[in-house]
Formats: sequence, C-alpha cells, structure tokens
Amino acid sequence: MGFNQLDPLLHSQLRLAVMSLLISVATADFVYIKEQTESTAGNLSVQLDKLSTAGYIEITKQFEGKKPKTTCKVTKKGVDAFDNYVKEIQQYLKP
Amino acid sequence: MEEKELTPQESMALIQSMIGKSRKRYSDNSFFFLLWGWIVLIASLTHFYLATYTTYEQPYIAWSLTVVGGVISGIVGARQGKNAKVRNYSDKMYGWLWFSLGMAMFTIVFNGQLINWNTVPFILLLAGVGTAVSGAMMGFKPLQFGGFAFWILAFIAFRQPENYQMLLLAFGVAIGYLVPGYIMKANFRNNGV
Repeated sequence: MGFNQLDPLLHSQLRLAVMSLLISVATADFVYIKEQTESTAGNLSVQLDKLSTAGYIEITKQFEGKKPKTTCKVTKKGVDAFDNYVKEIQQYLKP
Repeated sequence: MEEKELTPQESMALIQSMIGKSRKRYSDNSFFFLLWGWIVLIASLTHFYLATYTTYEQPYIAWSLTVVGGVISGIVGARQGKNAKVRNYSDKMYGWLWFSLGMAMFTIVFNGQLINWNTVPFILLLAGVGTAVSGAMMGFKPLQFGGFAFWILAFIAFRQPENYQMLLLAFGVAIGYLVPGYIMKANFRNNGV
C-alpha cells in the first residue's frame, strides 16, 4: 500500500520528528530541537523553513546579547495537520 | 537524523519516541520556595516581635521585604524563561498559577484594612493551593503535604488574633515552603531530578 495520501510535509523523518517534539511543548529553541532530533544545523534549518512556509510552525528570531536565538512553536494549522497525519497512519496500522 | 522513506510503523515509533523525549522533567524550582519561605518567615516573626514586645506602631513595616522578593522573583523568573531551551505547557501553567496567587494575595493585603487586617488565614489558604497544586504537578509529596499543613493552619488562624496569626504564618512557610524547598534542592543536587 502506498503513502500517497499522507501529508508529504509531515511524511519525512526529520520534519515528523520536529513536529512530534513541538506538539507537546509550548515553545522550543533551535538548539534543543537539534539536540533532540540529532540533526545537523543546516538540514534542520531547511526543514524548519519548509514547515514555517506551510504555516505548520511559527519561528521567532531574537538576539540574546550577541547570540541569535531561534524559537519555534507549532500553530493551530500544524496541530490539525499532525492530527490528520496520525489518524491516517493509524488507518494503515489497523490489522 | 537521516532522510529515508518511512513505513507506518516507523512513523508511529518516531512520533512516540519524540513525544517521550519532550515529556516533562521538572526543573529545580526550589529557589522560589526558599526565597519566599525565608522572606515570609523573617517578616512574620519580625511583625510578631514588634507588635508583642515593643511599642513600635508600625510592626507591618517588616513586610516591605516582600517588595524585594517580588523584584528578585521577577528578575530570576524572566532570566530563567529567557535561557530555557524548551518551555512546556506545565511550565506555563506553573508560572500562571503562582502569578495568579500572587495577585490574589496582593489584593487581600492591599485591602486588608477592610477586613480588620485579618489577612493571614486567606494568605495561608492561597499558599496552600499553590503548594499542593505545584506538588501534584511535580509528583513531589513534601509540597503536597505542605499544602495540607497550610490549610490546617488557616483553620486555626481564623480563630486567632492578628499577632498570633503571624506565628502560624511563620510555621506554615517553614513546613510548606522551606522544608520541601530544601528537600527539592537536595534531590536535584544528588540525582538531577
């Protein structure tokens, strides 16, 4: 059985990991997400941009002294998309 | 993390593992319990002493210390929030719980004259709510026990004159804030939890 109907934005290992992480917290910063997903900064940055462009997450960039701090949080649209994705996955997993 | 085609099982396992990673590990909040425990203990005992053993007419002056506590709490809380890599919904709830209780306590004390300065029983009740709920959120029994202690002391305080209410308040923060605060601090130092 193919995965054609699944949301292609979520059906990717790193983006799904990011969304699963953000779904259960209020906000998380870039370094925390990078550590938890064990990803590289470059790849993570690209995937976060894709999720943000789709409106699934909100990215806030601030400066803490001279250090940039990027904070992410999931949006209502992102929560709905994640819920749908999980429901569809559950359909595939049904015996 | 490598990019590869996910199977449904892998997707589900990934979701579960990431959600598991972000499950709340409580941060060490002992600083605030110790700060407020000592401030209230010193202020209430000073108030009791001045009112009972001296002729000083403004024994409540001791409570100016709470302004210092408010400023320190604000600065430390803001700094912790800024430096935190992740903010859980429970952190947010925890912050709002104590902020709301702080506002309620301030409202009671500010309007204290209207209730003949019988503010302590109400303060004890509110402190009991905050302590017991914080304890339940963290799964930390000493705080829950402290919450019950506050409620029992509030029962007694309603039946005591203002001066003796101060002793009950001092006793309340000693067992409701300071004892759990020091246990929490020791737990974090020894086990990191």
